Amino acid sequence: MDVADGLIVLPLLIPLTGAMVALLLRGRVRLQASFALATMLLSLTISALLLFNVWQTGRPLVFESGGWPAPFGIALVGDLLSLLFVLMTQLVIVTGIIYAMGSKDSVVRYPAFYPLFLTLVTGLSGAFLTGDLFNMYVFAELLVISGTVLTAISDDRYGTEAAYKYFYISLMASFFMLIAVGSLYVSYGTLNMADLALRIATDADKALLWPAIAFLMATFMVKSAVFPFHFWQPDFHAAAPTAVSAMLSSVVVKLGVYGFLRMTTLLFVAQAPQIRGLLLVLGIVGIIFGGLSAIGTHNVKRMLAYSTLAQIGFILVGVGWGTPLALMAALVFAFNHSLIKAAMLMLAGYVASRAAVKSAAFNIVTGVGRKAPGAGILFFVGALALAGLPPTNGFISKLLLFDSGIDAARFVSLLIIGLASILTMIYTIRAFQRIWWQQPAEEETIKPTGDRLVAPALLVGLILLLGIWANPLVQLAQDTSAWLGDPLAYIQAVLGG
Amino acid sequence: MELLTALAVGILFAIGIFQMLRRNIIRSVIGLVILANAVNLFLLATGATTGLEPAYSDLPGTHSDALPQALVLTAIVISMGGTAFVLSMLYIISSRYQTSDMDEVNGLKK
Repeated sequence: MDVADGLIVLPLLIPLTGAMVALLLRGRVRLQASFALATMLLSLTISALLLFNVWQTGRPLVFESGGWPAPFGIALVGDLLSLLFVLMTQLVIVTGIIYAMGSKDSVVRYPAFYPLFLTLVTGLSGAFLTGDLFNMYVFAELLVISGTVLTAISDDRYGTEAAYKYFYISLMASFFMLIAVGSLYVSYGTLNMADLALRIATDADKALLWPAIAFLMATFMVKSAVFPFHFWQPDFHAAAPTAVSAMLSSVVVKLGVYGFLRMTTLLFVAQAPQIRGLLLVLGIVGIIFGGLSAIGTHNVKRMLAYSTLAQIGFILVGVGWGTPLALMAALVFAFNHSLIKAAMLMLAGYVASRAAVKSAAFNIVTGVGRKAPGAGILFFVGALALAGLPPTNGFISKLLLFDSGIDAARFVSLLIIGLASILTMIYTIRAFQRIWWQQPAEEETIKPTGDRLVAPALLVGLILLLGIWANPLVQLAQDTSAWLGDPLAYIQAVLGG
Repeated sequence: MELLTALAVGILFAIGIFQMLRRNIIRSVIGLVILANAVNLFLLATGATTGLEPAYSDLPGTHSDALPQALVLTAIVISMGGTAFVLSMLYIISSRYQTSDMDEVNGLKK
């Protein structure tokens, strides 16, 4: 372990310290916001440099906290997968803070708003970076409680109800995770993921192994709002303040995806075929159910929340196919979806902030877009990306996914998800048409100004950039997927020798 | 002792799940708290090799594993924080909706 390995704590330490300092600045909201943004920019730069370093050297960064060697102490492991997810998270969080700074919601002037934002990203980055199963539970709790408070203080009058629902189901999920942790510990005597993977590979006959897998699956399904555990998600994401719901619906739901990737490529490699089979089915059900529900809703934000359900389904199909090519496609899809969904939700929030009553319901925002052509262009690009049309990054992710499906010769599931992709087109076009084409009921009531469009414009810029110049991301995903195909390298990097 | 622990965990799980499924919103939170304790007890039980000795003991081979006790301590603190938070939200909800019936807390469905 050398000095460079110690740097892996920085993407955690900077937001956490930032959150504490930001709390001290609670009396001065503008300063607090700028400070939070500066903190996140610093953290984002460092994560990007760390990712680049790991990508170049091909050796993951392992930090053993407290100096305890790996299987005994808690190790932070920054491999390509973790750092890719951390980079994605922090990139989107930066735009979230920029959006909040230009937002007209009264919630952004709440003294703990930015500190909570920073603890949210600490929890999420920590859950991605940790190499210890129990530590992941602790970071996931930090993430859950920050997200819940941010929603409970929402301007939306049903914010508390939605937050309560989410918190209740998240507590259930953390019980599931504790049961899984206990079962694995009593069977294998370790909680370090690398050590656990090694021991599970040598002895897979423990009675509690399958219950542990089932409980871990349930945990990550709740975290990612996968089909049977999705019911809290549309309420929660629609009621949260726009800046927050853009984060929740884009990066926070990726925790489950990360968990599934770790489960199938590291922890339970021998049991992966059964897990993948289930994920494939759940993914397809999620795509169809999410798409149909998104068509049936009466609220733009709710529609986008259901759309997340469907898009997570696409990622799970990629994880479920499980070939290196499909994993690569799933990674690219996950990264691109975060950018697209954050941009779309911010634009929906912008439209709601221009409407007479602050609401994203279709009957209220109808025609609001006629006064906001700039947002219309951004929304149109975002809709293209969500539906998977060129020249956006959504096209790249869908192309890679379908290509990997052809390569893996999974034609039945490919046909189903191909047809279900049309649903995305239907609901995005309908939203665009209602907001930007139809005549508003009363044109005078549209407010002259709303939230600032800087953040969604940045994200849409990235969407186009990654659509036209996709090579670096695809290369990175390819190398990550190759890295995932070799769990022994991960184990060796963490345990040494 | 093992049997007693197993029975206690089982009974707590049963009561917790039963209370969670009640329509009364306060009872369902009580169920959640009971379930949290059931899970903590289960986690604690994973460390007991003989079930009778404390973590530190002079007799070799009889002491129980200390790690689950550290884990359960963390889990207790987190679940306590979670319980406090869920109760405060419950307070806001019950005063805003003037009901304790879960079916009437349905503002989001309208």
